[in-house]
Amino acid sequence: MQSFFSNKRLIILLVCIIILVALIGYSMNERRTLSWPEQFITDSVGWVQSAFSRPAHLVAGFFENINDLQNLYEENQILKSHLDEYATLQVELNELRRHNEELTNSLDIKESLNRYSIRSALVIHRSPDRWNEFIGINKGAQHGIEVNMAVMTSKGLIGKIQNVSQFTSTVQLLSDQDRSNRISAFVDSDDSIYGFIEGIDDETGNLQFTMINIDAEIEVGQSVVTSGLGGIFPSELLIGEIVSFEADEFGLSQTALVKPTADFNQLDYVLVIERGATSLEPQIDPDIEGVEIEEDELDEEEATNDEGEES
Amino acid sequence: MIRYVLFLILFLLFILEGSVFQIFAPDQFGVPYLFTPRWVFLIIIFAGIFRGRMVGTVYGIIFGVMYDVIYMSVLGVYAFGMGFIAYLLSISIPIFQRNLIIAIITAVLAVITLDYYVYGMMLLLGITTVEHAEFFNVRFLPSLLLNVAFISVFAYPLRKGFYYLRQKQEEEKKL
Repeated sequence: MQSFFSNKRLIILLVCIIILVALIGYSMNERRTLSWPEQFITDSVGWVQSAFSRPAHLVAGFFENINDLQNLYEENQILKSHLDEYATLQVELNELRRHNEELTNSLDIKESLNRYSIRSALVIHRSPDRWNEFIGINKGAQHGIEVNMAVMTSKGLIGKIQNVSQFTSTVQLLSDQDRSNRISAFVDSDDSIYGFIEGIDDETGNLQFTMINIDAEIEVGQSVVTSGLGGIFPSELLIGEIVSFEADEFGLSQTALVKPTADFNQLDYVLVIERGATSLEPQIDPDIEGVEIEEDELDEEEATNDEGEES
Repeated sequence: MIRYVLFLILFLLFILEGSVFQIFAPDQFGVPYLFTPRWVFLIIIFAGIFRGRMVGTVYGIIFGVMYDVIYMSVLGVYAFGMGFIAYLLSISIPIFQRNLIIAIITAVLAVITLDYYVYGMMLLLGITTVEHAEFFNVRFLPSLLLNVAFISVFAYPLRKGFYYLRQKQEEEKKL
């Protein structure tokens, strides 16, 4: 046993522990971007991971399809009944869309919080020990992904980009327990009720919607969407539905439990959302003194905007 | 070429753990238990027992770093844990090599230590607030079952493989 911890080895162990503490301290810094060795490792391993994930997702999808076949008939019946509503809805939608376009044009609004562009990405890994709810996707800085972009599936929001490497990036799911994992959201009702989506409730598996005004009247079944006020997220991405609510421990605000519409399991392809509006700056009023906007510039802006919409 | 086989197998298992297993993991289909595969680490301990302490420790550190960088939000936890535990439990004496049961017990012991070490670190760093009873029932026991099953199945072929590797290297030396 003497060879186990001789003096020299003890010193090496000590140095290792010091390095461990230093590394943890370094990586706990929240404003950190990935260093190049990390990027190199994640990218090169990510390349192999995508090679393995693609067929695995295919196989998983195949079994899911077989499952779907079993309740095909019932689904068909339900869909048929929905189809009748669809026609009326479509007419209404067109009407509203035209109306909206006219109004926005007359108000001269060019930027909006709910305009966004979408990139789709393949899920290539997930932390095996599940202490972090992280997933890896096969798009990175080279594809235009940036830190804090919203990530969703077709059903709803699932998280935000945590780390970006050159060809891969890491997504922090909404269910992650990290304290900094919070998203500004509001309840979609007549008067908007704002709050934060903060982590997951261990017992029920629902998301916690906190910091709601104590006077706000919320109801079970209302849907919760992103507010777009947090910075990089666009507004009106669906998060979930309120299941229950109560006053918090100090009675100063309310906390609701939100059942996410998106399934955090069985993720294969995800959508990374980039907001179209770059900033929250208010419209500059040309009449205010000291601010002059040349006509040409305005025209140019309009022209580029039109192009953007058409494409 | 033959000396890279071990690394390739470990790397393949690393990819399987994170990418392929996670797609088919039982908790993805509504099972309330979390199964954490530690296949890479089990084989690292076996490598330590059959190929010497140095091999175990170095592989432990290499794959620990990969775990940290790719899956974790904090660096160093796995690199230190896997390296250190592999160093402690890579007991390459003939009794361990000849008696497969002892080797399996050592490897499982290493996985238990690693699981508890990581859980402790996550609690310490405030990344999780899971209580011990829940950790034990939901994560620890199912994972232990999975890993014991894995190593029980592959222990014998692994030993064969390591003996074959040693034989090959001795032949190379003679030449």
